[in-house]
Amino acid sequence: MGGTSTKLPKDLLSEYQELTFLTKQEILLAHKIFSELQDRENGPYSTRVSMEKILTLPELKSNPFQKRICHVFSTSDMKDGSLSFEDFLDLLSAFSDSATLEIKSHYAFRIFDFDDDGTLDARDLEKLVNSLTGETDDTRLTAEEMRQLISNILEESDIDKDGTVNLSEFQHVISRSPDFVSSFKIVL
Amino acid sequence: MAASQIMEMTSSEDEDQDLIELEAIRRPYRAVKFDLTHANQEDLEAQRYHEPKHTNALYRNSWSSSTQRVLSSMPSRSIRFNQSTALSRSTKMRRRRPLSIVSTAHCATDQDVFRGQEDCDDDVTQNEDLLNKLQGLSAGECVRVLREMSLTVSEKRQIRAWVVCWDAGQPLSANRALCCHQFKSFISFLKVLCGGCYSRVSQQKSIKLWQGVLKNISAHFGTGILSYFIFLRRLLHYNILLFLITGLFLVLPQISNPPSSKNKPAATADLWMFTGMGILTDSVMFYGHYANSTNGNCKAEMKLCPENYNIPLAYIFTIGAGMFITCVMLVYRISKSFGRSFRTFKTTSNLALKVFCSWDFKVSKKRSVKLQSGNICIQLKEMLSELSCKKQKRNLYSTFGWLSLHFLVWSICLLCIAACMLAVYYLHPYIDQGSSKVNSFQKAVGLLKLPLVMSCVSHLLPGFFDMLSRVEHYDSPRTQVYVSIARNLLLKGCIFSVLCYQWLKKISGRKNEQNKQQCWETLVGQELYRLVLMDLLIAMSYIILAEFLWGLCIRNITLRKRKLEFDIARDVLELIYSQTLVWFGVLFSPLLPAVQIGKLFLLFYLKKTSLMMNFQPPRKHWKATQMNALFTKLLFFPSFAGALAFVIYTMWRVRPSSDCGPFSNLRSMLLLGKRWIRGLGRSNPSFVWLSWAYNNLVDNPLFLFTLVGLFLAIIYIHMQVLDGQKMIISRLQKQIDNEGEDKKFLIAKVQALNEASAQQ
Repeated sequence: MGGTSTKLPKDLLSEYQELTFLTKQEILLAHKIFSELQDRENGPYSTRVSMEKILTLPELKSNPFQKRICHVFSTSDMKDGSLSFEDFLDLLSAFSDSATLEIKSHYAFRIFDFDDDGTLDARDLEKLVNSLTGETDDTRLTAEEMRQLISNILEESDIDKDGTVNLSEFQHVISRSPDFVSSFKIVL
Repeated sequence: MAASQIMEMTSSEDEDQDLIELEAIRRPYRAVKFDLTHANQEDLEAQRYHEPKHTNALYRNSWSSSTQRVLSSMPSRSIRFNQSTALSRSTKMRRRRPLSIVSTAHCATDQDVFRGQEDCDDDVTQNEDLLNKLQGLSAGECVRVLREMSLTVSEKRQIRAWVVCWDAGQPLSANRALCCHQFKSFISFLKVLCGGCYSRVSQQKSIKLWQGVLKNISAHFGTGILSYFIFLRRLLHYNILLFLITGLFLVLPQISNPPSSKNKPAATADLWMFTGMGILTDSVMFYGHYANSTNGNCKAEMKLCPENYNIPLAYIFTIGAGMFITCVMLVYRISKSFGRSFRTFKTTSNLALKVFCSWDFKVSKKRSVKLQSGNICIQLKEMLSELSCKKQKRNLYSTFGWLSLHFLVWSICLLCIAACMLAVYYLHPYIDQGSSKVNSFQKAVGLLKLPLVMSCVSHLLPGFFDMLSRVEHYDSPRTQVYVSIARNLLLKGCIFSVLCYQWLKKISGRKNEQNKQQCWETLVGQELYRLVLMDLLIAMSYIILAEFLWGLCIRNITLRKRKLEFDIARDVLELIYSQTLVWFGVLFSPLLPAVQIGKLFLLFYLKKTSLMMNFQPPRKHWKATQMNALFTKLLFFPSFAGALAFVIYTMWRVRPSSDCGPFSNLRSMLLLGKRWIRGLGRSNPSFVWLSWAYNNLVDNPLFLFTLVGLFLAIIYIHMQVLDGQKMIISRLQKQIDNEGEDKKFLIAKVQALNEASAQQ
């Protein structure tokens, strides 16, 4: 609604360029796409785009972690997963090419932490594996396999043996995989 | 906030049961449940004493709500802690200016800046810490640190505004907006002055070639297949660089200053474009055309009249510079990828790694996402079944069978390689340009026989080797990939060595015979040119026949409409082979990189079209980074290093032909360079130091020996340091284990105390 195609002011653009890992072209493209999403919003004009509209983006449409991504990057008080433009930039910055391993692993941890309690416990891991393997019956793991998998994961990654994987332990596991940085990418 | 969420999650009966069974699977003979009904301290300690060393995981469900409240506010589980540790890791503590104005009033008004904090005092102290650390940094550093922190953009902007205003000396108050605005406008003015080359130069990505196409490919097929296309693009960059250097400094001056026409007229030949004969023989394409010395007859009308342009010297320097820059770029890339693919000590099973890192976020098409999920499921099931069933011990009979199978396959491969070497040896044409007995067309075809055979062999035989290796059952797919790569390399290396032997024989043979009017350098250049072109033709026909037509058959015949699988390793090795040809040939044919550029463009678009139409996303997970590191190393070590050795040997030891080319009156090409540097001091007094440096540093074996010795000593010292660090890591691991034990103990105590107080 309300054909607002505001241009991004130059000093704001340069500030975004400095504070995120995105290049100028990427920020302008993000602004364009975000404005289009805003225009398609039903209801009064607001600076936030609802989660349903964000999830229509082709990069996020089929991603099993789409809702978690929106919740993690959303700064809305109503916790409804709606994103402002700066939240959207945060999302793209964390998933960009030049983001550091620290940033990516931090946000990956928060995305995988389904109950938002700061650690990955057995329930989080179960939900994570189910998201990875898909929702159809023939690709799910059996309960037995799930238990074995979770216990193995905890045994490998839980260094201080408290039954959960906290951020440092997660980052320790991630640092062993050189592929993580290249697979944790979304480019518009 | 977090604690309330935990309390909402009711612990159901069956979840308890699940967790107990989980323990039972892990340690069937040990005490399963950590019984906390005993509030008695001695009982607890006794129980703990009976527990085995690495005790059970703690069950959250059995903690009381007050314990869980304590647990949830543990620092290691709060996001704020993680952000501040990230900050301390990314900055070193520089000079610390005391922050005197921060007050609780700030906290009250700006509480939304730092999320998730309930305690205002904690907030203030952490604010102070953050601002202190940021103040001591320069503007660029501050921005870099802020960028790497995991805060939202709005928070980062506010922090930066505070730091900037604080640095500008203004108190943080109402005119904060004004001072920031003035500061920002000043900064933007400076930026305009500097012409836009501000701090992010190192991270600024230029508009990359084929960016949209590659994104489409990765959306459908994932990172593994993308790595092939990225490799292709990188080779294109190397070739463009080589072409620019040789083109600007060698070819252009030669074109603008053509030599006086030679005695013999340009012969016509059939298929001249494919054989490189005829018109191309005496063109800038090949070595023989380049001028012998500084050419005096320069036309006055042309603006660029390089009268004093020394073509032979330019020849050595451009080729040398091109190879040197390529070498530096390759080594740089290897060192970068080496750091990334380095693995730490613990490599038991990798389930956690698979679960956390295997999802490829770039894949966005629904079908590909489903396929990816299916693949991950299959891989997880395979890994679990591998873990659960024990590895079967091989008895003598099966070991013997396994060994004999391997021996058989290897001997077949070696026989094939030997057959190819013989074929190359006997098919090598004896070129006699003078004889006109044979029809020109037949001569052209005769010349093309060898490249045809070589290209067919290099395309088809690796496929045959792959089929053989499927018969052998390897333990892991990675071993299979490495073995097939090794066989492929062996094949190509052997063929190349036969070719080099033939060339050297031809060169030395020419010395013995009377000097015919033939340029061996041009002949070698023409052979390499033919090889490159034939490789392109065979690759194109392979794509059309084996991928389009065969893929069409497979799709229509098989019931499940299966598509082909992309063999990344084989295709990348093809690229490496063709690039090796170019590097071998650049000395004799300076425009060969241009041919390679055209070839790579063509291959890219053909492969991309074929990929989209005929191939399915890969079933097995391709460890892209490790494989990329391997391929970059292969590109450097046998491929580039071999070419470099060949070029250096030719320039140093082999006598150039005496009647054509820029070095016709010298014993070796490098002699010209040496003479020039030695003479530079005499002719041009300001360059005496250069000539001195050459004589005493580069040409001096003693100096080189001491340099090498120094490097070896440094490497040895680093190795010792690494050993020491490994020891430290193992000690730290033990320390972490101990801390974990303490943590469990303390949590149990907290629970005990809470229960005791609840009972009272």
